[in-house]
Amino acid sequence: MATKKGIRIAVVLALISGAVLFQGQSSLMNRSGRSGSTPPAVEYLYPEQVTLPAGKPSTVALHFRVAPGLHINSHTPREEELIPTTFSIPEGSGVRLDGASYPHGTEFALSMDPKTKFSVYTGEFVIMARIVATVGNHLVEGRLHYQACENNSCMPPKTITVAIDVIGK
Amino acid sequence: MRRNTLFFAVVLLALALVAWAGWVNFKARSKGCRLAAGQQSAMAVQGKPAPPFTLEDLSGKKVSLADYKGKAVMINFWATWCTPCAIETPWLVELRNQYAAQGFEVLGISADDLDRGDPARLDAEKQGIARFVRKMQIPYPVLIDGDSISQPYGGLDVLPTSFFVDRNGNLVAEQDGVTSKEEIEGKIKKALGE
Repeated sequence: MATKKGIRIAVVLALISGAVLFQGQSSLMNRSGRSGSTPPAVEYLYPEQVTLPAGKPSTVALHFRVAPGLHINSHTPREEELIPTTFSIPEGSGVRLDGASYPHGTEFALSMDPKTKFSVYTGEFVIMARIVATVGNHLVEGRLHYQACENNSCMPPKTITVAIDVIGK
Repeated sequence: MRRNTLFFAVVLLALALVAWAGWVNFKARSKGCRLAAGQQSAMAVQGKPAPPFTLEDLSGKKVSLADYKGKAVMINFWATWCTPCAIETPWLVELRNQYAAQGFEVLGISADDLDRGDPARLDAEKQGIARFVRKMQIPYPVLIDGDSISQPYGGLDVLPTSFFVDRNGNLVAEQDGVTSKEEIEGKIKKALGE
């Protein structure tokens, strides 16, 4: 009795494991090969909603995370050609960006060129955005523009949406 | 007692199978989508004719891949903001000079964005590319607006990305990211038919 039950459980678990394995393999096979298949290098974490006094500049800490193994240029990269990380809010959203304070970058060098130092963000970083909201509920779509690299290659510059529900009271 | 032992053995075996499947799945995923994509792409381009293109160089002169018929060509996509590209470029200059006599040429294709609608910005962007060319002392043709021809080459997920074309105009190898001068040289030799 117990043996039959055991065999049934084993068969079910084997089927589940087979499905898990197949899913893993097929997800790799289904990738389109190149363009568009890579996830964003930077993810906006929080806050999703803030309540601010209307008409007064208020500082909001915007939290972001750079994907493991990648880095992005800080707001003040050391080379003229490098693209700085910048945050902006489009006009007409009922919320105005009065200014932003960016964290200092950490020093970084590529393993193939350890002498050349760059200023980058890795892991989590916080931008202190000074914003002014009018009275009301505003679904703001801020923009973070950045350019990400890993140790031996770089991705083209990208802009992600930073969605925040801003309530001006 | 014997039945119970068999029961636990079967369950343990099944659990081991699940763990193995999870591990295999994790390993496959951790190789990263870029690597998988790059390998597939590399396999996909082998032996196929290189997609034709015509682009301008910094002086406005039109340059086509077809102009290099009969030569082995390395099509190197790069950008001024790409720090690994700056590591690779001096190797390309050396290898180009070394193999030029055998019929080898590099076509450097800048993927920097160009604001065609804003003459002042366009001029500044071209100057930025020209600065890179001067700094690296690049002797081979450098073409601009690479994004406009990138799709037939599979798009540009990462830079640098290079394609190696043999004397018959067929793609024989591809490279995503910086590897080593030796690896690039191997692919140049393959393109030359050595």
